[in-house]
Amino acid sequence: MLKRCLAVLMLLLFAAPALGQVPDIAPLVTALAKGDFAERDAAITALAQSGDARVPVILNALVAGALFVDSRTDTIVRAEKSGDAYTLTNPLDAAPLGDAQKSDLEKIKVNNALRGKIKTLIGQMTLLSPDRATRLSAAQSVLKTASLDMLDLLKSAHAAEADPEIKAVMALSLEVLTLKSDASLAEKTSAVDAIVARQSRAAQTILLTANETAADDVKPLIEAGIATLSRTLGVWDIGQNIWYGLSLGSVLLLAAIGLAITFGVMGVINMAHGEMVMLGAYTTFTVQTVLRTSLPGLADYSLLFALPLAFLFTAACGIIIERGIIRWLYGRPLETLLATWGLSLILQQAVRTVFGPTNRLVDNPSWMSGAFQLGELVITWNRLWIVIFALVVFLVLLIALNRTPLGLQMRAVTQNRRMASAMGIRTPFVDALTFGLGSGIAGLAGVALSQIDNVSPNLGQGYIIDSFMVVVFGGVGNLFGTLVGALSLGVANKFMEPYLGAVVAKIVILVLIILFIQRRPRGLFALKGRFVES
Amino acid sequence: MTDFNRLLATLGLGAAITVSSFAPALAADDTIKVGILHSLSGTMAISETTLKDTMLFLIDQQNKKGGLLGKKLEAVVVDPASDWPLFAEKARELISVDKVAAVFGCWTSVSRKSVLPVFKELNSILFYPVQYEGEESERNVFYTGAAPNQQAIPAVDYLMSEEGGSVKRWVLEGTDYVYPRTTNKILEQYLLDHGVAAEDIRTNYTPFGFSDWQTEVAAIKDFGSAGKKTAVVSTVNGDANVPFYKELGNQGISAEDIPVVAFSVGEEELAGLDTKPLVGHLAAWNYFQSIETPENTQFIADWRAFTGNDKRVTNDPMEAHVIGFSLWVQAVEKAGTTDTDKVLDAIIGLETPNLTGGISKMLPNHHITKPVYIGEIQDDGQFDVVWKTPELVPGDAWSDFLPEDKGIEADWTQPINCGHYDTATKTCGAPAS
Amino acid sequence: MLTKVLLTGFDTKARWLIGLILLVALLVPALSLMVPQGNPLHLDAYVVTLFGKYLTYAILALALDLVWGYCGILSLGHAAFFALGGYGMGMYLMRQIGARGVYANPVLPDFMVFLNYKDLPWFWTGFDLWWVAVLAVLAVPGLVAFGFGWLAFRSRVTGVYLSIITQALTYALLLAFFRNDLGMGGNNGLTDFKDILGFNVQAPETRAALFAATALLLAGSIFVVSVIVNSKLGKVMIAVRDAESRTRFLGWRPENVKLFAFVVSALIAGLAGALYVPQVGIINPGEFDPGNSIEAVIWVAVGGRGTLLGPIVGALLVNLGKTVFTGALPDYWLFALGGLFVVVTLFMPKGIVGLWAQLRRRRAKTPAPTVDRAPSLEPAE
Repeated sequence: MLKRCLAVLMLLLFAAPALGQVPDIAPLVTALAKGDFAERDAAITALAQSGDARVPVILNALVAGALFVDSRTDTIVRAEKSGDAYTLTNPLDAAPLGDAQKSDLEKIKVNNALRGKIKTLIGQMTLLSPDRATRLSAAQSVLKTASLDMLDLLKSAHAAEADPEIKAVMALSLEVLTLKSDASLAEKTSAVDAIVARQSRAAQTILLTANETAADDVKPLIEAGIATLSRTLGVWDIGQNIWYGLSLGSVLLLAAIGLAITFGVMGVINMAHGEMVMLGAYTTFTVQTVLRTSLPGLADYSLLFALPLAFLFTAACGIIIERGIIRWLYGRPLETLLATWGLSLILQQAVRTVFGPTNRLVDNPSWMSGAFQLGELVITWNRLWIVIFALVVFLVLLIALNRTPLGLQMRAVTQNRRMASAMGIRTPFVDALTFGLGSGIAGLAGVALSQIDNVSPNLGQGYIIDSFMVVVFGGVGNLFGTLVGALSLGVANKFMEPYLGAVVAKIVILVLIILFIQRRPRGLFALKGRFVES
Repeated sequence: MTDFNRLLATLGLGAAITVSSFAPALAADDTIKVGILHSLSGTMAISETTLKDTMLFLIDQQNKKGGLLGKKLEAVVVDPASDWPLFAEKARELISVDKVAAVFGCWTSVSRKSVLPVFKELNSILFYPVQYEGEESERNVFYTGAAPNQQAIPAVDYLMSEEGGSVKRWVLEGTDYVYPRTTNKILEQYLLDHGVAAEDIRTNYTPFGFSDWQTEVAAIKDFGSAGKKTAVVSTVNGDANVPFYKELGNQGISAEDIPVVAFSVGEEELAGLDTKPLVGHLAAWNYFQSIETPENTQFIADWRAFTGNDKRVTNDPMEAHVIGFSLWVQAVEKAGTTDTDKVLDAIIGLETPNLTGGISKMLPNHHITKPVYIGEIQDDGQFDVVWKTPELVPGDAWSDFLPEDKGIEADWTQPINCGHYDTATKTCGAPAS
Repeated sequence: MLTKVLLTGFDTKARWLIGLILLVALLVPALSLMVPQGNPLHLDAYVVTLFGKYLTYAILALALDLVWGYCGILSLGHAAFFALGGYGMGMYLMRQIGARGVYANPVLPDFMVFLNYKDLPWFWTGFDLWWVAVLAVLAVPGLVAFGFGWLAFRSRVTGVYLSIITQALTYALLLAFFRNDLGMGGNNGLTDFKDILGFNVQAPETRAALFAATALLLAGSIFVVSVIVNSKLGKVMIAVRDAESRTRFLGWRPENVKLFAFVVSALIAGLAGALYVPQVGIINPGEFDPGNSIEAVIWVAVGGRGTLLGPIVGALLVNLGKTVFTGALPDYWLFALGGLFVVVTLFMPKGIVGLWAQLRRRRAKTPAPTVDRAPSLEPAE
């Protein structure tokens, strides 16, 4: 086997370029299917060295797991899943080859090592590609694995490059190669300086990598460069921690803000709040599943459909709960704890019975996947959207409570039920709507949390205690308190986490809350006025 | 039942109370009872409910084959509700009230530790189907999941090999409980023995159900950017995995840069995840659903028919129950009785085909032989096997890589009959140091 | 003085209750040990242990009733004191294992050997002596309750604020005990006990004795609680519950009254936890779970708070229900239990014990007086 590979390789190296013809790469492609990973590695190298224009497409298909051996004909095919069957094409010329069942096909597997190698090879082959995106990813993959034999290719690509972003990546690769090469100390010094001047985390990685293999005379240079970089990056780290903290805080805010209404404003110790969040997440799951089967084109925007539906569904649940249970318990706030706790057990088990106990898959839409760089901050899209969403929900709620007639009535009823009733406000109606609003917002939180956490029957349990902490820390009955409370707890937690670890940071936060309540027994933003004292 | 107990029963205490000496006569006549002790509610329901269904499926199949010793098998299902003291209570109920012949159950180590004294006291049998930390071998327990040498060590070997990427720098990321602690302790020693520098190992623990992985994933990224090939060995448990992998995907840690090899993430866990950004991350198990053998294909088809769900996945702990149940059935048939002592004697050395084409054998240390597979996550939520051990690996209760366990073996056959036998001093139980 | 307390200090109801429990304390071990197996009156070890566990829960419920039912402090973290007491006992039991552990280390428990401890951590010193353990079982929950209560009541933290910070307390302890670095066994906790006071914990005699001890402790707790609530201090306690500000204006110091009730309650809960551990055979951080504390509150509410009998009945019934339902309806028991809580709250505001009075009153067509309000717990209204 190995011998045959070598033979093919020899043939390629000498015969093909010499003849100046397009070589027949079919046997090379066939060789991909044979043997273990080491032999496949050799086959891939051989294929890449053929220099054929079809190679990148074939290798990409291999990485994507789309190349199979058709056991009926013992040939290599490219297969795309369509329904239950697979549609086959010839990997060389994309000619259709009919359909096949899964049992007829055997996948040509790749592992991480091969995947990395193929990406490098494709990078080398596509450095001069006309397509900008292809060229950029090629330049980036070359940067990761730059080796000296690429130097000439890289130089010519760099010279020909017009796009500044790609050019910069290529320049960086050249600097890396300079450090690896036997260039003079002066050249290496300027290369280190150029890398340091980039002031980025990537630059630090490059220097650390280079330092592993650097010669003794260059080492002090590189180490000095690393030291300079880590000072700058230290400042960015603080910014990164603040961002993480805000992001955690916004999750806490979302989880707590519904509770700030049912518990904070209405005084119901709502232990079923977490389950409302969970129901919101399951609504998202249902909406996404339905959309995916009936309107696949809209599946990427399923969250937008899920938001109103989750709000309406959980608000309806909230109104039913209020009319069925809570309204009998006004004036007995502690009993609401027991009833809602019982309710939360029932809801959890109901969801478990309907949807099963395992996690359900809620996809991140494409606009919520991945991350982008802001300076040296890495910001993931899903976290950014959640921060924005939390703030929007907060603002809308604030306006609803302070600027609408319903909001006025809600505040009136919760402050003095009998007086409000005497003024002609239909208190039962307002109670039901207020509880519905709080539950509906919990449902919205569920939509957001489905993007970062498990969608399982236990989802709500993980947030209920934190939510109560936030509301109490901020001051019961004060929405601003909930906002400030959530964000400050989030930031404090994230600042401690790198030093203390996740567990101790959380313990410290809890102890701080206990101590803080001693100083301010009614939270951060205590309500003032006569109705506060019992 | 006697009058006194009937009186109590009418008071609603019936399920809780019975008289020990009367029940076996009743139970022994018509059916053989099998206890199923898996949480159906609470935090562990997410993993354990499937195992309850698996047991019901296996018992159903056995009954279709004519039962056992001419009797029907009867499943007794209880819900210990992810509450560890309740596990002990329910185990006692199964053994002394329901008179089950054997119990299949538990997932977490703490649940196993909680029921252990009960099984010892009442002399019954537990089949434990989950990979665990080792450092234990009990007369009444059969460990059908992987010991550390059947999962962790081969996975690290693979990553250190050229094929696995010649990893030089390691992050040991785990949930803070005994299984990750022990596994990481063994791995750390193993890595140091293989020339990895201490500063190239980063160990971190997070609490159960941890959901905000931003800081930790960033730290892993940072640790991995020091110029040496880095890999993460994850013993992160259960619920915390989905947020962990989502964060990995979003922060763009790809498997070619920093592969993550997990010991607690299987097909069932991946079902809740979009695996497209995770292609190439690894898991080490003794079974994957994607392994194509006639036994496995048949098993998956039967399982789906039984559950009435043609998307239902299978996973490693399910296979452990399949093997454990088959071995128990054989042992009972061989012994001709469900009597604990006789079954304990009969089961050692029995063999049964596993689902991946090999023959698993019950060893004297109450562990079994299993193949080890390394799989890479694919975009359809399944694993592709990229590496496997050439032969089945016998489970080892006491790790050979820890200094304090050197020369310690477990052997429950005569004449040794000991779970912690020092082969050097030939004594049971470590000598007083 | 003592005779006076004994004669007037507690009422007839409490006397009957204590009598009944003492009878049970004698009868159950006797039926378990003296009556041979096979006799219709024989009680299996399973039943003895199970009801022993229920009785420890009943004691916890009674302790909670003292602070909540009589003093108006809704503690959502009372299981923390129970668990702390349990850990005290667990540490004693671990030391009793001695060299019989897996690693046969005469001093270090197995989990420490495994986590590479070289010496016993300082806070484990002395736990091989039973009186040190008893002292710790009382002192640790007592001191935690004193420190916490001293801060909280003096700062006049009341109502939901207090409830939530008690929850924060137990949650923080949960996280702390989960940490393996704390030296308390981490998630696995302490288990595999062998002996208590030289007797095998698994022997039927020991089980019977533990049951009797638990019943005696319950009787003792009823006595203590009854004496307290029937004393002048008890009246002040109820006054604090019903109108804290007025009590303060009358010249009492509500914070001291509350602190007293809180600490006594924590001591009782700690003792209950200590008896719980040898009977269930394990103590782990799960006992600190805030859900457990809420469940304890529910036992009191189901039985009827502000009474002596209520919490005991509630704890026994709810737990019995749990045992029966988890076996009989493993897939649906949460519906039954959750439904029970909702129904009790809606239709039995005074709990099961108050049901009789509630029905009688309804028949007499007198309007039901509003339920004991704990005004301090009212939200901003």
